[in-house]
Amino acid sequence: MVVDGQFLVSILLIGSTFALYIGIAIFNTAKQTSEFYVAGRGVPPVFNGMAIGADWMSAASFIGMAGTVMVLGYDGLAYIMGWTGGYLLLTFLLAPQLRKYGRYTVPEFIGDRYRSDTARLIAAVATIIISFTYSVGQLSGSGVVIGRLLEVNTAVGTMIGVVLIAFYSAMGGMKGITWTQVAQYLVLIIAYLIPVIFMSLQLTSNPAPWLSYGEVIGSMRELDQELGISEYVVPFTEATKWQFLALMFTLMAGTAGLPHVIVRFYTVATMKAARWSGAWALLFIGLLYLSAPVYAAFSRFILMTQVANSSIDDLPAWTEPWINTGQLSVADENGDGILQWEELSIHNDIVVMATPEIANLGIFVIGLMAAGAMAAALSTAGGLMIAISAALSHDIYYRSINPKASERKRLLVGRYSIVIATVAAGLLALNPPGAITQIVAWAFGLASGSFFPALLLGVWWKRANGPGVIAGMITGLTVTLGYIFFSQSLGIQVLGIIDTGAGIFGAVSAILANVIVSLSTKPPAQEAQDEVTDLRYPEQMHYKDGEVWLKE
Amino acid sequence: MRKLDQKKADAYFKLRTTMIIIYLSIGFLVSYVVVFNAEALSTFNVIGIPFHYYMGAQGAVLTFIVLLFINAIISDKIDKKFGFNPEYVDTADNSKVEDQ
Repeated sequence: MVVDGQFLVSILLIGSTFALYIGIAIFNTAKQTSEFYVAGRGVPPVFNGMAIGADWMSAASFIGMAGTVMVLGYDGLAYIMGWTGGYLLLTFLLAPQLRKYGRYTVPEFIGDRYRSDTARLIAAVATIIISFTYSVGQLSGSGVVIGRLLEVNTAVGTMIGVVLIAFYSAMGGMKGITWTQVAQYLVLIIAYLIPVIFMSLQLTSNPAPWLSYGEVIGSMRELDQELGISEYVVPFTEATKWQFLALMFTLMAGTAGLPHVIVRFYTVATMKAARWSGAWALLFIGLLYLSAPVYAAFSRFILMTQVANSSIDDLPAWTEPWINTGQLSVADENGDGILQWEELSIHNDIVVMATPEIANLGIFVIGLMAAGAMAAALSTAGGLMIAISAALSHDIYYRSINPKASERKRLLVGRYSIVIATVAAGLLALNPPGAITQIVAWAFGLASGSFFPALLLGVWWKRANGPGVIAGMITGLTVTLGYIFFSQSLGIQVLGIIDTGAGIFGAVSAILANVIVSLSTKPPAQEAQDEVTDLRYPEQMHYKDGEVWLKE
Repeated sequence: MRKLDQKKADAYFKLRTTMIIIYLSIGFLVSYVVVFNAEALSTFNVIGIPFHYYMGAQGAVLTFIVLLFINAIISDKIDKKFGFNPEYVDTADNSKVEDQ
């Protein structure tokens, strides 16, 4: 370990953000179950928007997305549109209605709306599996960040993350997490924007990177043509058009069905506040997602002009640590002493994390970048832990095992389940099986095949019933997993759609199964149908026995 | 509690649903339809970027954000026009589960 100026600045910045998160959790300790699960439903929409942003933007979004866009070119934009478009589906079709229904968790809505304990348990198990694998990715991500920037072992980095998350989520519950996420959003967005703004000033003398990167893209097209390689902006070079569309749909529907995101909409007071939360959330998320393609363009431009075509013995100084860690590989394959563009191989993660060094922004910004990446990892992991804990302690323990549990006991079970889930995910993250990255990529397919159809029909079609939703969720999960398996191992593909686009088949088959089984079985009880009709109107209105009442 | 005219309630639901269909159609247009016609739309530039790429990297996301804010503003207006208070909180309703 080298203790130098950089090390001290990084540890100081990360340490003070950690102290802030812990302070917030101590100040906002949850005293009731409603505070523990839904922050007492009193979060103002603007702050909920920030919290949703931090909850949503993971370590992978922060570190890896710009790199994905750079490596895949136009095809990488499916992620940008898919992950933002999900908020349209969520805010227009699901969130306000789910808020009015007024429960604590997504499985609880499914169980109560469809009057089916089995459906609630399936949804709870799906929540736990999806959130758990997703959180393993976050924790190992945080380990890599701390490990690389503080030059300690990755395992130490992971354990620091685990202890921190376990402590502040168990104490504060949703109430503490909400305000921690607000702080984490601010840290991560400042860390993300500063380097790209400076890079824009250096490359284009324009402080607004979003407006100025057009000229960089223009220069790159000329460079691509000179080199005779496929142009950066040319569509569908990596996969078919249908794969692009299927992936975009899967990401949208998956986003709208992820329990840890939906539950954030439960923390506000009204349907109005849910709509505003969605709008603010996408604005705050958009700041990062609009900047990722800029990072991608700037980095590719710098690599093409400053690294490629230079002498192999005389590469810019910032490349050295990245070559040493294998993130950037250079091999003078044709032995002419010059590094050609084709001889460069670039890892996704380099694009954002190397920017402060490329742009020579100094030790403070490098440290801030580390704090930002940690904030992205911790905030998402915290939200996932609440979702897992709620599924275990509320949906399974309280609703199925011990409905007579006292308030105190329920809080205690909630806290224990967070600690257990975090430690379990942390242990797995120390040595993550290779399958984890795959499962994280499939999480959207699984959510789009299970939760999205169940919630959509639950809110918009009162005729959907218990047997229908059970058949729908099981069919959706089976078809999604089946398609992933067949496309991966047997190479059977429809229209060139690969495993990451499987969610579209899952969603369509789940909707069909739900509709067919619902129609061929008994309609739901009148009371259950009235509850669905009631979701058409704002909180002030109440639908009962075919009549609408206005509460005053 | 006062009983509400069913016609008024239906008109409210119909208007809200129509607006949502319009928003989602615009969202569909700027993402799926543009992607589907990407090759044909790459012939002209916006701020120096070919249109299809611009839409994927910026245009679609900006449209989504604007749609969500328009929805939030217009929904509040619709609620007011029909004489509902969108900020009404029914405390009894919120604690359905807690009371069980």
